[in-house]
Amino acid sequence: MHRAAHPVSLLEARALAHSYPGGVRALDGLDLRIERGRRLAILGPNGSGKTTALLHLNGILKPHAGTVLLDGEPAAYDTHSLTGWRRRVGLVLQNADDQLFAATVAEDVSFGPLNLGLDAAQVRSRVQYALAALHVTALAERATHMLSFGQKKRVAIAGLVAMQPEVLLLDEPTAGLDRQGTEDLLAVLAELERSSGATLVLSTHDVDLAWRFADDVALFDSGRTISQGPVTETLMAPDLLRQAGLAMPFLLRFGLRAREVGMLGDNEPLPRTPEAALELLSLARSVPSALD
Amino acid sequence: MSIIDTSANLNRWRTRPLAEKALLAIGMLLIAVAVPSWEGALLVAVVMAGVTLLGARIAPAVWWQALAAPLGFLLIGSLTLAFQVSDWHVSLAPHGLELSLRLMARAFAATLCLLFLALTTPATDLVAGLRRLGVPAEIAEMALLMYRFLFLLVDTAHAMNVAQAARLCHITRRRRMHSLGLLVANLMPRALARAAALEVGLAARGWHGELRVQRDTRAASRAAIAAIVLLEGVVLCIALRTR
Repeated sequence: MHRAAHPVSLLEARALAHSYPGGVRALDGLDLRIERGRRLAILGPNGSGKTTALLHLNGILKPHAGTVLLDGEPAAYDTHSLTGWRRRVGLVLQNADDQLFAATVAEDVSFGPLNLGLDAAQVRSRVQYALAALHVTALAERATHMLSFGQKKRVAIAGLVAMQPEVLLLDEPTAGLDRQGTEDLLAVLAELERSSGATLVLSTHDVDLAWRFADDVALFDSGRTISQGPVTETLMAPDLLRQAGLAMPFLLRFGLRAREVGMLGDNEPLPRTPEAALELLSLARSVPSALD
Repeated sequence: MSIIDTSANLNRWRTRPLAEKALLAIGMLLIAVAVPSWEGALLVAVVMAGVTLLGARIAPAVWWQALAAPLGFLLIGSLTLAFQVSDWHVSLAPHGLELSLRLMARAFAATLCLLFLALTTPATDLVAGLRRLGVPAEIAEMALLMYRFLFLLVDTAHAMNVAQAARLCHITRRRRMHSLGLLVANLMPRALARAAALEVGLAARGWHGELRVQRDTRAASRAAIAAIVLLEGVVLCIALRTR
């Protein structure tokens, strides 16, 4: 294929392989593309290689085979290149405790920007920006080990946001959060995306979250991507989902059924949120013939 | 989390500059040790208790809880001074009671000085202060990380303990000892795993060997320093006149 017809991905993994000590094959020829400005959900069951893949995309793990490409260039693993890489690609770990180490929230958030070699004034403004973006400004002087679970999560994300990466990788960001916590986090991420223009990537085993959040989905199974593409295509393949031990999102099934019964036109968008589904129902009610 | 740490992070003087708190605590400590009379040391103890409870508004229950253990050691340690052992006889030592009282008053005052610092100042502030005094960054960072890991370890140990209790591992004394052994043995690999995970977390944030954070240190206020020096001067004068 001609190169111009195939735009270069912001971040790409080609045929990555990685085994952990003890012979567990975490990645087995994994391909993945992250396109600028398109939200990607890495969807797969537990143990399908999501976390390992994310660790490769940030240069923390080095693949045993395969390549990671940044803007089409193979990534290098010397200190200088890694610093540049991590400046552009931020990774938020699933367990916030693995990331927070400093005494207070503001100090912890300042760690990343300082590693980028910014001066004191810049670091200060980055910290303020990140704390405001995650709505944790009020916690700035609190001790990190005295925060609640949800607060720790946000502070951990703020620590990466302060580095202003082009891509923000979030490993299971909603795991363990309650419903309201999840809602708030998704709202904050959407706001962040608008204000910073960062490309958001999250890993999850929650098909409903993927359907709601993502533009694109990469479906993982046993260390491989079994499909990647727009969410409306990937999540409409029940066989592939079943292979990964997953099922179609409820709202997608609802939307497809709504099309079947004529509540929703074939060209109208499928509902992505419960509110949109309810809206559809109330519209159908006002036009009784649609349900006949 | 320990009550000392909670109080250090939540007391009224949490954000007061370290220099002021250190000047007060260490200054008073020196007075307590230097003044010859035990009444002088007792005065320091009273002043420090007042500063801790009324100034920094440490809850009396917390203060007492933190004080109880060192106080126990102190009592046992100083009381033994009052006795002497000769030819299998235990008798009161000459001037023993006075000696023991003096030591007790002095140690008590010194303990209160340090307790004031511990209850009002987060450990990380103390480490940062040491660094400003010229302790090498590597040692200060190690201390900081150890401090951070202490909480992770305590949390892990606590969770394991609960899990054991839920499976009736504490039902007899024998079982309890056995379970404790298992817990201790498992804590080490878990701690190492946590350490490895933290290293990944730091690497993801561009860490390359130096743990630097931005710390906004407030400069000590002149008025506060003057007030502390004045207070210490007054205490010293009164203490010297007691004998």
